[in-house]
Parts: sequence; C-alpha cells; structure tokens
Amino acid sequence: MRKRKNQQLAEDLAAAAARGYAELAEAELFSPAEYLPDETEPLSYAGYSYWRSSLRIFAKNKISMFFTALIALTLLFTFAQPFLPNQKDPIKIYNDETGIQIRNAVPSSDFIFGTNAIGQDLWSRTWSGTRTSLFIGFVVAVVEALIGVLIGVLWGYMRKLDFLFTELYNMFDNIPQTLVLILISYVLHPSLRTIIIALCLTGWLTTARYVRNQVIVIRDRDYNLASRCLGTPARRIILHNLLPYLVSIITMRMAMAIPYAISNEVFVTYIGLGLPLQIPSLGNLIVSGIDKMMDPNLRYQLIFPTAVLSVVTISFYVIGNAFADASDPKNHVV
Amino acid sequence: MDSNILSVRNLNISFTLRGDRFLVIRDVSLDVPRGENLAIVGESGSGKSVFCKALMGLLDANGRIESGEILFDGVDLAKVNSEKQWQKIRGRQIAMVMQDPMTSLNPLIPIGKQLTEAIALHHGQRGKAARDIAVGFLNDVGIPEPERRFKQYPHEFSGGMRQRAVIAIAIACMPKLLICDEPTTAIDVTIQAQILELLQSLKKKYELTTIYITHDLGVVARIADRIAVMYAGDVIETGNSEDVFYSPSHPYTWALLLSMPQLAKKGSDISSIEGSPPNLKDPIAGDAFAPRNPQALKIDFVKRPPLFEASPTHKARTWLLDPRSPKIAPPIILSQHETHAGQLGISSLKQDPALCEAEREVGKKPILEVKNLSVCFGKGKKRFAAISGVSFSIYEGETFGVVGESGSGKTTLGRSILRIYEPSEGEIYFRGKKISGKIGKAEDMQLTRQIQMIFQDPMSSLNERAKVASIVSEGLDNIGKLTSATRQEQVLKALREVGLRTEYADRFPHEFSGGQRQRIGIARAMIMAPEFIVADEPISALDVSIRAQVLNLMSRLQKERGLSYLFISHDLSVMRYICNRIAALYHGVMVELADTETLFEKPMHAYTRSLLSAVPQPDPRLEKKKVLITYDPSEHNYETDAPSWREVEKNHFVRCNDAEERKIREMYSLQANRGNP
Repeated sequence: MRKRKNQQLAEDLAAAAARGYAELAEAELFSPAEYLPDETEPLSYAGYSYWRSSLRIFAKNKISMFFTALIALTLLFTFAQPFLPNQKDPIKIYNDETGIQIRNAVPSSDFIFGTNAIGQDLWSRTWSGTRTSLFIGFVVAVVEALIGVLIGVLWGYMRKLDFLFTELYNMFDNIPQTLVLILISYVLHPSLRTIIIALCLTGWLTTARYVRNQVIVIRDRDYNLASRCLGTPARRIILHNLLPYLVSIITMRMAMAIPYAISNEVFVTYIGLGLPLQIPSLGNLIVSGIDKMMDPNLRYQLIFPTAVLSVVTISFYVIGNAFADASDPKNHVV
Repeated sequence: MDSNILSVRNLNISFTLRGDRFLVIRDVSLDVPRGENLAIVGESGSGKSVFCKALMGLLDANGRIESGEILFDGVDLAKVNSEKQWQKIRGRQIAMVMQDPMTSLNPLIPIGKQLTEAIALHHGQRGKAARDIAVGFLNDVGIPEPERRFKQYPHEFSGGMRQRAVIAIAIACMPKLLICDEPTTAIDVTIQAQILELLQSLKKKYELTTIYITHDLGVVARIADRIAVMYAGDVIETGNSEDVFYSPSHPYTWALLLSMPQLAKKGSDISSIEGSPPNLKDPIAGDAFAPRNPQALKIDFVKRPPLFEASPTHKARTWLLDPRSPKIAPPIILSQHETHAGQLGISSLKQDPALCEAEREVGKKPILEVKNLSVCFGKGKKRFAAISGVSFSIYEGETFGVVGESGSGKTTLGRSILRIYEPSEGEIYFRGKKISGKIGKAEDMQLTRQIQMIFQDPMSSLNERAKVASIVSEGLDNIGKLTSATRQEQVLKALREVGLRTEYADRFPHEFSGGQRQRIGIARAMIMAPEFIVADEPISALDVSIRAQVLNLMSRLQKERGLSYLFISHDLSVMRYICNRIAALYHGVMVELADTETLFEKPMHAYTRSLLSAVPQPDPRLEKKKVLITYDPSEHNYETDAPSWREVEKNHFVRCNDAEERKIREMYSLQANRGNP
C-alpha cells in the first residue's frame, strides 16, 4: 500500500520523541501540519469482489468441496478410461475358449464389474454409459440455459410481452413433463438426438421463470432507469445491466439441469422409449440391471451403474445448491 | 441513587467482515444523566447505531464487545451474555424505537393485540384490563379514535401513525431508558415535527431518559438537552445543546455546522469538508478527523487527544484545547444570525432577493414549459392521478425547486419531463418544441442529450458490475461510434470536472464512498453536455459533510455551463440555498409558486406555511420556542367556492378561492390585483 505523506511524518515524529528529543519534538508536534487534499479520502474501500467472495464462501463449505473433488475425479476418469491400457470394448460380446458367451460372470480381475447377460464387459459399458449420460446432461443444460435465459429476459424486461409469455408459460407448464417426454420419444426414432430434443423441450420453462422473476426484481432499479435516461437501447441494458446480475442463477440452474437430464434419461429408458441397446447409457444399464435385481449373485449388474449415477447426480445437486448460497451477496459478510 | 442512569466506560466494539476486523467503537466513554435527552449525532458509519445496539444486546452476529463496561443502573450490560437475562432488560428497562415503523410491527396482527401483548408481559394484565391500558397508551401517543384503531392492522395506519403505535408499544413496557434510532428519517417533515413534539411530551409524562440517534442537526437542536458528536467510532465532543451549537470546540463539529446549507449565502460556496471518513480497518493513530482538517496540527497525526474540558459541562477530544497548542479561533457560526428569526422560526441567513431575480432577468427565455400536466396510473377503479393540472415554466440558467412530501407527485413530475412516464393530459415543451407524446427518433436522441438526471441514491443508481469508465461513457456510446481514445479522453475529462481522480476510471463502484459515487453519477450525466438537469433529491441520501460538496459541485457546473435545474426535494432549508424559485406540490396539485425569498417571507398557502414551520433548524434556542403549524386540508371551504391558480402579487402564485385570497391580502396588506380573473 502507498504510504501517506502525513502518516510518514507522524512516524518520524514519534521516532524522534522516542529517541529523547522530547522538547524539540513537542514544539514540532504542536505546529500546524500540511493539509493534503489528496489524503482526505481513505486509501481504499474494503477490496470486495463479487466473484472472489462467492468462491471463498463456496470453498468454505466442506461438503460441497468434497463433492466437487469427487465429481472432478469421476469426470476425469470417465473421459480417460478408454485411453487406459487393457480396456475392453463396451459393445463387443466376449466368448470363452469354447466359443460360448461369457454370460453373467461375477466381477473378477478380468472383468472388473463382471459381464452382463449376453457377455459384454460391464466395466467398460458403465464408463461408456456415463459418458453418454453426461453428454446428454451437458447438452441439455446448455440448450436449456440459452433458451431459458433468452425467453426469461424478454419476458421480464419487455412489459408488453409479459401477458403473452405468462399465458404461454401457463399453457406449457400444465402439460405434464412425462407426457411430453413419452410422446416425443414415441413419435421420433429412438436415438441420442431424440432424447436430447425431448428433454430440452420441457426443461427451459423453469429456467425462463427463474430468470424472469429475477429480472423483474432488478429491472426498475435506479441504475437501469439511469441507462434509459441516457438513451441506452434495450439490448445493451439486457447485456450490460441485467445479465451480469443473473450469472449466479444461470450457473445454478445449469448445475441442477445436468442431474435432472440424466435421471430423465434413465426414466425414459425404463419405460422402454430410451436409447437403443447398442448405445450404452446409464439408463439402459440400470434397466437391464433391474432384471437381475432378485438374484443376489447377479445384483452387481444393477449396483455398479446405480452407484455411478448416484455419485454424478448427487454431486451436481449439492454443488449447485452450495453455489447458489455462495453467490448470494447476503452471505458475503462472514 | 447515581445521577447517571447509564455510564459507558472505555467501550470497544469490533466487527469482522470477510475476514477483516474493523474497530467500529474506539474507546468510548459517555454518561447519560437521569431524565435527560441525549442526542448522538454522526454520519453514517460513525458507529452511533452500533453503540446503541450494544446497549440492548442486539449486535449483529459478526460484532463483538472487545472491552469496556456499560453500567446501566449499576449493572454491567457488557457482561450480560444469556438471552434470558437480556429479555429482562430489553423492553422493561431499555426500549427502542427503530427507523422504519413497518419493519418493527407485525403486519399480520392488529395493533391493539401487539400492544396488549407487551402489556401482558410487563404489567401482568390481561383481557379487559389490558385493553383499557392499551387504549390509554394509544390515546397518549396521539392516535385519534383509539377504540377503533385498536382493532386495525398496521397497513391501515399511515407512516406517522405507525411510528406512533411503535412508540406506544415501546413505552407500554415502562422502560427507564428509551433509545430512538433515527425514528423520523423515513417520515415526512411535517409528520416528523409532530413525532418529535410527541416524544418530548411523553418524556415528561413518563419521566423517561432518552437517547436519540440522528444525523440531522435540526432535529438535534429541537430535542436535545445534551449532545454527543461521533466521528469514526469515537465520541469527539459532548456537551449541553447550547455548548455544542454556540461554542463548538472540535474542528469536526465546526466543519459540520458550517457545512449546513442553512447557513450559506446563495451564490457563494458552502464551506465543505473534503474527502470521506476513514476506513476503520486500519488502526487510527491520532485524531481520526486530522486528514480532512485543513488546520490540523502535527500531533493530530501522532497521538490520540484526551478528552479536554472546555467547561464543566462541555468536553472535546481535540488537541486544540491543550494549553500548548496554538490558538485557532473557531469560525463564527451561529452567534450572529439568531436575530434573523422570522415569525415562522426560519433562522437562515437572509438571502439577497436580488439574486433570486437576477438569473431570470438575464435569460428571460423559458427553457422548459409544462402546461396543464396530468399523469395518471392504473386502470379502471384503481386509476388515480399522481399529478393533476400542473403548469409552470423554467427559465434558462435558473434552479427551479419543487418541494413536496411523499405522495406529492414530485418524482412523477421529474420523470414525466424525462419522458419515462407518459402524460395523460397536457403538454411539455422544451425550448418551444413539444416533447411529450410521440416524437421522432432523431429528436428523441437529441432530447436525451439535452435533458439529464441526477439520482437520489448513489448506492442503487450505479451498475455494480461495470467499471467507472464504462458507466460514465454509457451515454456517449449511445450517440454514435467512438474511437476508444476519444472515449477515454472524454471520460477522464468528465471525471476531472466532477473532482474525481482519473485513475478511478478502472475501478468498480463498490470501491467508492457515497459522495464519490454521487460524483460518478453526475459525471455520467455531464458527459452528454446537457442543458437541463432533473435532480431528484440529489443530496437527501448523503451525509451532512458530503451534501455541501455535491451542492457546490452542482452550483459550479451551473455557472460554468449555464445549466438549468429542476431541483426536487422535501427539504426547504437546502432549497433556500440553491433554488431561485420554489413550487410547492400537495397531492399532485401545485399549491404555491414564488421566488425563494418571497416564499419564505410571505408563504400564502396553509400547506406551505406548515412545511416552513416543520423544517428543523440547527439552532436550539429557536427550535425550542418554535410553534408548529399543522395543515389540515379540510380547513378549505372548496365546495361552494372553488379554488383557482391566482397571481396574488407579482410572480407569486397560489391556489386559493376568493375568501382565502382576501384573507391573504389582509395578512400581508397587499393591494387588490386588478388583472386577476
């Protein structure tokens, strides 16, 4: 920090007095000081930064840090797995020396998670399925955020659109989400694209409403009024004045959208409309695992994919919530 | 029994904020004599509220008493640490009235029930007996028809009535000490005066000792027996009200009193305190005020001054009272202008009436004309007029004041001129061109440049997530493409013009104090090179010492650029200093319009008179003998004799009917005006 001139002078004088020039220092002390207009303002107001504070509060939360580490490791491993040595093909059916499929082999050093009913390697299928599910989750989260924020901001900021958008929202929101999912999956060909479209069609509604409510809270603040007085066009007000205040809720909504999309994929697959079996996903792994649930020896086929699913969804959920708390400026005092 | 009900010794309180420790109360000692009215005066952040919260054990979770004692009737409150013990003290021994009455009342419970709860707790009375006591208290605090009001909910009460109800609940517990934390800041001036009067009478009736926290020196002059001035967490001066007002000892108190616009002459600068209070994160070595004090001694930077005695009742923490220090004469402050006390208790230095006229004679051309303007909100049954039938002109280079209380429509008026609200009726002309209704795009852009606004609250009027440079240059970017070099140059020029350092351009708003933020807001408007500025309460959210800086800046800019202002405010004392003409608005209707000095000398409308009498003046001798005038709209007899807008004397307009005009003429012995309709 820059040392102030008068502060320096004060220290010199105090030092002089301490060295025993008491009388000399006293006459000096009671003489007028120099008035320095530049020093009338305190040096700096508490160095507060919104993002630094948010991250600091987030880092303080031990549970969320644990899940952040866990999900980081899981993600890293999921994507690194195919490049590790001695990995098996998730699609290939393995036969033993006699040419018979290795069906329902319990976990061993050869097949770490065992094999399934037709002799495929569950270890590589689980990680391949996690990749598929995460891919669905991320794509859906990004699309939802894009559509949701766009609609939400227009809905909240443009007063004239409020009535129209509210009615549209009421209409769409009253159609059960499961119905839309089932219908779309039924009409279109079962594929990765189909399931992503089906999930995107319903998810943005909640994001749009969140964003709209937040925009209504901040749109009439004085600084937005000031921008209007300066003739700032709506586009710039939205980009410069509103969006920076929405980043925290958008990030939170995205973190929440990932586990929702993944669980919805599992659900759609469970009712038989999900991805075809040749594309491994957590959904169809769990569904085929459920068939073996009643046999204690084969239960591992359900347990492994479910465990990975739980780790992924719970982590994103906890992180999303912790981030929402941390990014609320009200919590930035401690 | 000890003559002091409360005595605080060497109290230190610290707060932790984001890992940093702030010492917000620094070694404070203070005595409160039984039965007296102590006012604690200080700017925001001086620690006055924290100090009083500590007396009730209500410090926020991140605050902590570091050391010291708070002796209340012999009990050390600093050592009370259980909620149970506090509950025996809070309410029963010490009660508090907060700033905003709506947040201290439960909106879901009728007022009467909230009051009887307090009575049941503290008097042990229930049912009919409690009810009778409660109605008695409501009556005592001046709530009309207490029986009927007893059953009503807080939302059915007006702001002033709510605060009265809060006061009733506070005194129902029969406390020995009543702490009022800015109880009238959120309330209109005329109601404020009534509440202050009520508190005075209750104090006598219930033998209360009161501590009154405020930043308004006028309020202090009215109610205080003793005054404690706080600065940067320290009590720097204590004394009887007259000691502090008429012979202040600390340079900060001098500067504070001098910076009041009531004491400034129109046309000259208000003496202002430069800079802002220190940041309490870093330890303060000497006198906290030294860096802002042009007459500081070197020792002020080295050693904290002890409390010197100026007289047996008057102490101040300043080296100037040390016999070794050079004699620095205090500025002549209040002693001279007492004689100017007018019949309405307005004590300001008389302004030169010629100055009110001068600017108007020079530019006789109106810059802005408002003709029969009405603005309505809502639809159907809920439709109401915020402004109805307002007409006036503002001349080039003049400052036109609009005074009114909340709900008077003054903000709506300003915003209609800025074209944020559409007029329902009437027109607005700028330089002879109609600007209300539909206008072309090019014209719209030009008007945006010509008419700008200064906002009330510097905290909410800046975008927190944008850098100063981008806030200031926003208007320029809307006009057309700029090279980044010209933009930068313009921004720096605007910053220099409002007295900010150019290196601030790269910082974010939260790094600045309120006064600096207001300057950024002004720079943002000035970069557009406007001709007309709507200033909506531009200083009412600022601290006393900062107000003078901003007012001076506004006057300087007006002189340099020939600006015209529409100055919206509720505070007539400030308007007397800055405005050439003043119009009074009451419930959307303009009731009086005159040159500033004429308005102060010869207020004609009953509402203007009540406003003038309610404005607190920083002069205890005047304030204590002042008689309040209250305005009751039912005093007009408008059913049979409708009022109209009349020019009763030259350039002095008032809304009245025939009978009232006759009365006004009699009062000021004016000739009948022939040209009147």
